[in-house]
Formats: sequence, C-alpha cells, structure tokens
Amino acid sequence: MYLDVKGIIKSYRDNTVLDGLDFSVARGELVSLLGPSGCGKTTLLRMIAGLVTADHGTIRLAERDVTGLPAHKRNVSVVFQNYALFPHLNVSENVGFGLAARGVSKAEQRTPVEEALALVRMEQFADRPISALSGGQQQRVAVARALVVAPDLLLLDEPFSALDRKLRETMQVELKALLRSRGITAVFVTHDQEEALAVSDRIAVMNRGRIEQYGGPMELYSRPATSFVLDFVGMSTRIAGTVKKVEGRSLLISTAYGEVTAPGNFIQGAKVLLGVRPEHLDPVPGAAGSNSITVALSDVMCLGAKTLVHATASGADRIICEQSGAAQQGLPSTGEPVTLSWNVEQTLVYPAEGVQ
Amino acid sequence: MSQFNGAAAAPGRRTDPFLLLAVPALCLLGMLFVLPIVFLLVKSFRDTTGNLSIATYVAFFSDPFMLTALRRTIVVAIETTLLTLLLGYPTAFALARARGFTQTIILIAMILPLSVGVIVKAFAWSIVFRTDGVINKTLLGLGIIDQPLRLLFTETALVIGATNIFLPFMVLPIYAVIRQTDPNLRSAAATLGAGPLFCFFRVTLPLTLPGIVAGAAFVFSMAVAMYVIPNLIIGERTQTLSMLIARSFLYLRNEQMGSTISTILLAIAAFIVIVSSVILKRLSGRQA
Repeated sequence: MYLDVKGIIKSYRDNTVLDGLDFSVARGELVSLLGPSGCGKTTLLRMIAGLVTADHGTIRLAERDVTGLPAHKRNVSVVFQNYALFPHLNVSENVGFGLAARGVSKAEQRTPVEEALALVRMEQFADRPISALSGGQQQRVAVARALVVAPDLLLLDEPFSALDRKLRETMQVELKALLRSRGITAVFVTHDQEEALAVSDRIAVMNRGRIEQYGGPMELYSRPATSFVLDFVGMSTRIAGTVKKVEGRSLLISTAYGEVTAPGNFIQGAKVLLGVRPEHLDPVPGAAGSNSITVALSDVMCLGAKTLVHATASGADRIICEQSGAAQQGLPSTGEPVTLSWNVEQTLVYPAEGVQ
Repeated sequence: MSQFNGAAAAPGRRTDPFLLLAVPALCLLGMLFVLPIVFLLVKSFRDTTGNLSIATYVAFFSDPFMLTALRRTIVVAIETTLLTLLLGYPTAFALARARGFTQTIILIAMILPLSVGVIVKAFAWSIVFRTDGVINKTLLGLGIIDQPLRLLFTETALVIGATNIFLPFMVLPIYAVIRQTDPNLRSAAATLGAGPLFCFFRVTLPLTLPGIVAGAAFVFSMAVAMYVIPNLIIGERTQTLSMLIARSFLYLRNEQMGSTISTILLAIAAFIVIVSSVILKRLSGRQA
C-alpha cells in the first residue's frame, strides 16, 4: 500500500491512546478517520505527519520507512483544524512558506504560489493579511499552502468544523473535487459521520485506539462490523436480548417486546444486541419471514424528504423507524400503539456490550 | 444645517465613561511624577540667581568625565539588556512549556526575587564578587587561579548583577507573548518542510518579537537609571549618570547640574520607550 501504518502503540503515562493499530491507504485514495473525541484519531494523524512519535510500530509512505523521520523531512502536509496560518505573513507569503523552507527563491515561488491560489480561487487575495480573511477563505489558503509543495500525502484535521453548515457542505464538495483532480492521497480526521461519508472513498471507524471497521460508506452502513460502528455510523434501532434457541444459523431471541428471529452464530443464553436500520422498519404488521413488535409511538418528526418515528423503548434500547415519500402520509400519531415489522435478514446481531 | 450635522456627529466622539476609571491613577501620576519632572526641567535651565542658562548642559557635554559616565551608563544598559535577553528568552520558553508544579516553581522563582529589595540583592552580589567572596574562593580552591580576581568594582560585575535583578522584566513579557501564540504554528511550519532553524527565524522569532521589544524597553530604561546596584557593586570610583545625579544633589549641592543630568537621563529613557512603542505598534499593525 501507498501508506502503511503497522502495529502502532502509543501511550501517555497509563493512558493507551493507540493500541496496536494497523491502517493503510492506497495511492490517490481519500480516506477518513472517524471516531468520537479521545479515540486516538488526531494522535494517529499527528503521528503520520511526524509531530508525534510512536512507542512501537512502523509507518511506511511511498515506498520508504518514515517512522524515525522528523516532520520536516516527510513531505506530508497538514491542514490544521484552526488552519494555523502564520499571522505575521500575508496570504501569498503563507502559501509560499513551504517553498521557502525548501530553498526556493522568492522569484521562483511566484508562479507556483499563484497557481495554488488560483486552484482555491483566492488569486485576488494574494496581498491581504490573514486577519482580513473569513473562515472559509482561511481554509482555502491553508489548503493552497499545503498543496503547493506537492506533498506525498495530505492530512486534514477536522478541516470543516470551524465553518457554518452551508459553507461546510460547499467546501466539502469543492475540496473533494480538487483533491480528485490533482490525484492527491488524503486522510481526513473527523468526528462527523456525515462529513466522513461525504468526502471519503473509505472510512476507518476508530474507537479506543483501534480501528473497529475499515470500508466504504455503503459497507459501513449496511454491514457494521461491531455494535460501536452500528451506533456511530447512521441511526439504528437497538434492542437488548437473550438467545433462547439456536437452530443452525437462525437464532430465536427474547426481548422486552417479544420474541424475534435473527441470523447469526451465538450459543444459547448469550446476551446480544439487535440492530436494525430505520428504513428497514415498517409501521405495518409483517408477513412470514418478518419480525414484528408492538410499541407505543413517542414522537413523529417530519424532516421534509423523510419522517422519523420514535417509539417508547425500555432501558438503553432505542427504536426508530424512517419513512420516506408517500409512506409519510397517514402515520399514526404520538402515543398510539403501533406494530413495527422488519425482514429477519435485515436484523444485525452483536454480542452485548462488555460480553465478548 | 452644518450645526445639525455637527450635533449628529457628536455621539460618536463622546468619551468612553470607562476612561474615567483611570482618573485617580492619572491624578496621582500627574502630581507625583509629571509635576516634579516639570520642576526638574525648569530647574535645569536656571542658574543659582534664577536666570535662564544652559551653562550646565554645555558643561556636561564638554566634560570628558561626564561623557565617560554617559557612555558607560549606556554601554552597561545595552549589555544588561542583551544579557537578560540571552538568558531570558529560553527561560520564557521553558516557562511557557512547563506544566503544573514545574511552571509554578519557575514563576515563583521569577516573581519572588522582585519582592526582595534591590539593596538586599545588590548586597548579596557584592558578597559573591568580593576578593574573598564565593567565586574567588571556589576558583582558588580548585586551583584554577593563583590570585583572586578583581570582580567587585568592574563593569562586568555590574552587568551580571543588574541582569540578575532585571531578568524577570525580560522573561515575563516574552512569556506572555509566547502563551498567546498558537503552538500549531510551529507544527505547521515543520510539516511544510521547515527545519528547526528555519522555523525559529521565520516563525518563532517574528511572533515573539513584540515580547522581546517590550522586555528590552523595560530592562533598558531601568538599567540606564539604576542607582543602588552600581553604588553597591562598582562603588564611587566608576560613576554612572544616576550616581552623578546623586552626587550633584547630595554632595555638591549643584541643583542645576543634578537637574540637567536627570533631564538627559530622562531623555534617553523616553527615547527608548517611544521607539519601542512605535516598533510594537508596527508589529501589531502587521498582525492585526
């Protein structure tokens, strides 16, 4: 692989931040590290950049071992969360900084700097001070500054988090197109699943210093490898249960809402967590080959293109059903009992939290 | 019509009521600082009979003894400023980098000596620098020197002593500036290919320059005017301007000469303060 991170361990005192982590990226791929704060994603990013050293493990980039190399010898550019533009330099001086550090003369910097600014449509701001720019403009300058040195790898640390929602969506589309057209290999760090789904070819979902699942957006959504991924990526109905009977690959599971059937490999008596994506639930009694539960509606939220139906659930369970198009008409109202059904094959089963 | 316009513009020019909060302090400064200085200025241009005269200024600038003292005062102040900068700059970084207990210790080490009077510190230095002082005894004991070095009444001793006393005034402004700078900027420079030296001269130094200018202005203006420290460390034999002022007023009873030297000293300090604030304004203007 183009970027190969192997067996990385990093601890601060007793706190293990990265726990034997493996991660790889192909050339030209756009990848996201997705996870909650404290999962180690930023530490991993800084480690790939050379700003943090690993206790164990190796990092290879573009056919060379960069594990022991300091940041300034790696040719890995970073777009920081706060952009980290130099306040004492103007826009073109900021963009030219990496070239100057490589010994390129002022005169020879001009053309590449102008090209990089044109790439992010900031040519007319070349002589402005950084403080005169808006958040979106600062981000463009940060991207231009990172790209002008033709890095082997571009790292972006929560690059959109400081922008308001509308601008964020525009910038995501724009940046993705730009990186694609230039064939840049990039790793985004984000805690926002929508952002990860929007900008990347593959997403590595991180939790507690490990990667729980690494795959394309569709794969993560429809076949979450762990209950953490089920919970972190997209919405889901989550019901705790106990395996009552095992018949081959078919499980009979008792829950607080009755018995349901699901495919899976568990022994009798195992505590499990059932997951169903909201669009697989239907507010009608199911036919054969379906599971049905009857619950009370707690909330009906119309979000325009789709309507979310929440039901009263016990304990840590969550029950949520999504209807779109014509099915949004004639939904029962809050407080009424409703029978929800779903295809047995759409049921995901995971070991209950804490029991492996 | 023009009157009407004037009235409309007035609210924009109304004084900020919060400025009134500074009035008591300004009154105190005005009475105890500005007034005496004005008296001093007036006195420096009046001879004993009360006539206007610039005789003492002429005398000052034509007396080699006075000019030597002036040169020495400025050289010592510059050397002190440079030495405090050399020692204070890394200290400020250590202070900004340290966390928790270590930071508290360094901060206390910086600030606590300020509460020990200058006399006590200067006296302590005179003990260390004496012919039979700690330094000479150690060097003699180790066999590095045969004869005790004359340290106490030298300019070197004065610069070292003054550096010790003024160090916090260099460290604290630089520390304050470092704390405000984003540590990501150095990371950003590194990921853009900047080695430690390039990063220091192109990022760290320019960003901390306001702190350096402020600290240097503090230390220089205090070093140029210090009296107790040279008095105790280099004694009466080598004079600085402030010692000449004391001599004029207290021993020679020449009030005009004393006022003249005071005015010259004040002019030097004022020049430094004005120049440094102009530089600071330029620097912050570039970043604002």
